[in-house]
Amino acid sequence: MKPKDLRTELLPVWCSGCGDFGVLKGLTQALSDLNVAPEKLAVISGIGCSSRLPGYVKAYSFNTIHGRALPIASGLKTARPELTTVVVGGDGDGFSIGLGHLPHAIRRDINITYIVMDNGIYGLTKGQASPTTELESKRSRGLAGGDEQPLNPVLLVLSAGCGFVARTHAGNMPHMRDMMKQAIEYPGFSFVHVLAGCVTYQPRNYSDLLLQRSYELPVEYDKTDLGAAINAVRDGRFALGVIYKRPLEEVSATAGAASEEEWTPPDAVLKQDLPTE
Amino acid sequence: METRTEAMPASSATATPLRSLVIAIAGSGGDGVALIGDLLLKMAAHQGLYGILVQSYGPQIRGGESAVVLRIGDREICYEGEDTDVLVCFRASDLKRFKGSLHLHDESQLILEEKDPGALPDWLGTMKKPAFRHPFATWDGDVEVAGEPKNMMALALVCRALGWPESLAQQALAERFSHKPALVERNMPTFRKAYEAPNVPQLLQLKGHGVPLVVETGNEAVARGAMSAGLEFFAGYPITPSSEVMETLIDELPAVGGRVIQAEDEISALGMVVGASFGGVPSMTATSGPGLSLMTEMMGLSSMAEIPTVIVDCQRAGPATGMPSRTEQSDLYHAIYGGHGDFPRAVLGVFDVVHARDVMFRAFELAENYQLPVLVLSDAYVAQRRQIRDGVTDRRDKPRRWRWTPEDAPARFQLSEDQPVNAFRVPGTPGGTYLAAGIEHTEDGNPSADPGVHQRMSEKRFRKLESIAADTRGWVRTFGDPKAAKGIIAWGSSFGMLSEWIETHPEYRVFMPEILHPFPLEAFTEWRKGLDETTTVELSYQGQFHRYLSSLTDMNGVRSFARSGGLPMSMRELDEMLGLSATRKER
Repeated sequence: MKPKDLRTELLPVWCSGCGDFGVLKGLTQALSDLNVAPEKLAVISGIGCSSRLPGYVKAYSFNTIHGRALPIASGLKTARPELTTVVVGGDGDGFSIGLGHLPHAIRRDINITYIVMDNGIYGLTKGQASPTTELESKRSRGLAGGDEQPLNPVLLVLSAGCGFVARTHAGNMPHMRDMMKQAIEYPGFSFVHVLAGCVTYQPRNYSDLLLQRSYELPVEYDKTDLGAAINAVRDGRFALGVIYKRPLEEVSATAGAASEEEWTPPDAVLKQDLPTE
Repeated sequence: METRTEAMPASSATATPLRSLVIAIAGSGGDGVALIGDLLLKMAAHQGLYGILVQSYGPQIRGGESAVVLRIGDREICYEGEDTDVLVCFRASDLKRFKGSLHLHDESQLILEEKDPGALPDWLGTMKKPAFRHPFATWDGDVEVAGEPKNMMALALVCRALGWPESLAQQALAERFSHKPALVERNMPTFRKAYEAPNVPQLLQLKGHGVPLVVETGNEAVARGAMSAGLEFFAGYPITPSSEVMETLIDELPAVGGRVIQAEDEISALGMVVGASFGGVPSMTATSGPGLSLMTEMMGLSSMAEIPTVIVDCQRAGPATGMPSRTEQSDLYHAIYGGHGDFPRAVLGVFDVVHARDVMFRAFELAENYQLPVLVLSDAYVAQRRQIRDGVTDRRDKPRRWRWTPEDAPARFQLSEDQPVNAFRVPGTPGGTYLAAGIEHTEDGNPSADPGVHQRMSEKRFRKLESIAADTRGWVRTFGDPKAAKGIIAWGSSFGMLSEWIETHPEYRVFMPEILHPFPLEAFTEWRKGLDETTTVELSYQGQFHRYLSSLTDMNGVRSFARSGGLPMSMRELDEMLGLSATRKER
C-alpha cells in the first residue's frame, strides 16, 4: 500500500504552508512502511486545526470532541486490540483541555501512538495563547497569560512514565517518517512531539525559529536512560529523535499490549435479517 | 417489540394477602448490625422467603450509628414496609439519627439491652407489648467494656423468635465467612447461649416455599442485566451510590471475556465507552448525578456520531454534591434535556431489583438497534438495597447491531425513507472505512457547515425517536382497578410502595412508565380516561416529572405531590398527602 492509497479524497482545510500537511504526509508514509491496511487502522482526534487530520486518512477515523481523543482511543484499543490506533491533535487539545487524560493513558500503557502537532497557538479559534506559547510571544502580542510559564510537554510525559518518547520537526520529512514508524511499532503507549509551524498566527518564519533551536540527539545518546532523557529536555532547546525508549523486556503486558488476537463480533444482523416496515 | 425477559412480581395479581415482618436493627459502628441484616436476609432466601433490606449509614466512612431495616415475607417484596414489627437496639441513644425511618405500633416487639438507661424517643411511637431485655453488653460497674459479640446474640434472638433453626444460621455464617471457618466456630457458643435464653417472645412464623432464592442489590442486577444483554466493555469512575455496578463487573465481566477500565473521571469513562462502541463492541458506563453532568458533552457525541452507548445513572439527592447516600428522582430533566444542541436519546426508569435486569436488556436493545445514547435512571434506593428474587434464566437472543457489508449503502449516514438507522461500519471490515464525527457532517461523514445539511441530518437523527416510540408504546406498568376513579402517576423506585399501597386502596389506579423518553403518551392517554382525580407523585423539589408531562399533554387539574428526596416516599406519607390518613388507621 502506497502512502497516497491511505489518503481520502477530502482536501485539507489547513492554510497553505501549514506544518500539518507535512505530518499528514509523514504519517501516511510511516503507515505505508508498516503495511497497515486501512480497515485495520483507527485514527482518532479531538478538536483543533490538526484534529481535522483523521478525515484525510483512509481509516476508521473519528473526529471527536475537544480534548477527549485519548479516552476514546483507549476504549477502542482496549475493546479492539488488533486495530492500529493513532491519536492526533494539537497543543491546546492535548496540553490544555485534555491534559488530565494524558498521564492516565500513559499509566495504562495501552498500545496507542499519540502524535501532537505543537504549533504553540490556538489556530482554529484565531490566535489565542496555548499552554506552549512562549512568554515573550505572549507579552509582545498582548495575549493572555503573559506571566504564565509555558508547559514542557516532553518532560511531562517522561515523568508520567511514558515508554516511548520522540520529537521531530514537521519540516523534516525523512525524520518524521522514521519517528512515527518507530512510535507505531513500539508495543505500548508512544508519544511523538512534532514541532509544527503556524503560518497565520505565528511569525512566518516560526518553523525556522523552531528548527534553529533544535538539534539531533547524537549517535552515542543512550535512549534507554531515563535520566539522560530528562536532562536532554530540560534546557530551552529541542532535542530531536527518540528521546526515551523503555527496553522491550520491561514493557508491561497490559490491555492491548499483550493480546492482539482478532476480535469476534457478537452475532451480526445483516440487512436481510432486518424486519421490513 | 416485546422484550420482557422474565416474570414480573405478582403484586397486581395477589392471591393471598402478604404476610410479612419488618425488622429494624439499630446500633453504632462496631456493633455489626449490617451483618445481622445480611445474614437474616440470606437465611430467608434459603428457605424460599422473599425480602428486602435497606441500610442507613451516617456520613462517616466508618463508625457512627448505622441501622438496617429488613422486611421478610412470603411473596415478592420491593418495599421495606411502614411500621416496625421488631426493633433490636443496643443503645436508645443510637436511634436519634433514624427519625422518620422507624415507627412502632401496638404489636411491635422491642429487643433492648438489659441495662440501657436511655429512654426511647417520643417520635418512635409506642407499643403495648413489653420489651424483651437481654444482657448484650458486658459491664464493669457502670462502664461498658468489650465483651462477646452483640450481633451474634441479636441474630440468635431474632432466629429463635422467628422459629428458625440454629443450623440455618450456622450455614449462613459458614457461607459468609467461608474464608474464616475458625471465626464461625469461635462465635457459635455466644449464638447458642442467646438462642437458648429463657422467655424469648415468639414472632410471626413465616413459611417459605422451600426453593432457595437469590439475594441481589440493585447495582448487581444492573451489572448482570447488562452482561446478559451482551455487554463486553465497561468503563466507570467510583461514585456513590453507583460504584457497585463497576465493582460487580470487575469481578464478573473479565471472566466471560469482557473488559473493564476504571477511568480517571466520568468524561473519560463515557469517552472510553464511545470509543469501544465505535469499535462495534456493546459498551456501557454507570454513574450518579455529578458524573452525568460531566458526561453530558460526550452524550451529545454519542448521539451525533450515531454510536450506541448505555449510561446508567443511580440518582442521588443533588445538586452539586448534594446528599450522596440519599435517594432522589431529580436527574430526570438532565437525562431528557441535558446537553447543548438538539440530539435524540432514550431514557428508561428502573422500578426495583427484579425490573433492573429487564430494563438493562431493553436499554441495550434500544442502543444497539438505534445507535444512540440510552440512559437508565436508577436511584440510591434501588441501587443500594438488597432484595430477594427468583432465579433468572438469561435470554439467548441478545440485542444485535446491524453490521455493514459492501452490499449496504455506500455512505455511513445515508438518508433513507425506510430505515431510521444505517448499517454500522465496524472497524476491521474491508471497504467500510469512514469518518465518524461530532462535527456536523454529510451522509459520507465529511464535515459540513451547510445549514441545509444540518436540518436534514437533524431530521434523520430525530426520526429514530419516532421508531423508538412506536416500538416502546407498551413499556408501561399499570395496576389497580382500571375503572377506578382516582389515579396516581409515578415513575422509578416508587413502584415498590405503590404496588403494595394499591392493595388497600381499591378506589385508585396507578400508571408507571418504564420508558420516560420518548414518553408512552398513547398508553397514558388511554389509561387516564374516566379519572375524576389524578395526582403525580415524585421525589423532586421542582416536580420535574409533573412539569415534563405538562409539556407533553394536558395536565390541568392534575395535582402534583413532589418533594425533595432523602428518604423514599412512604405509604403513610402518600395517605396523608391524599387526605386518607383516617382510612389508613382503620387497617
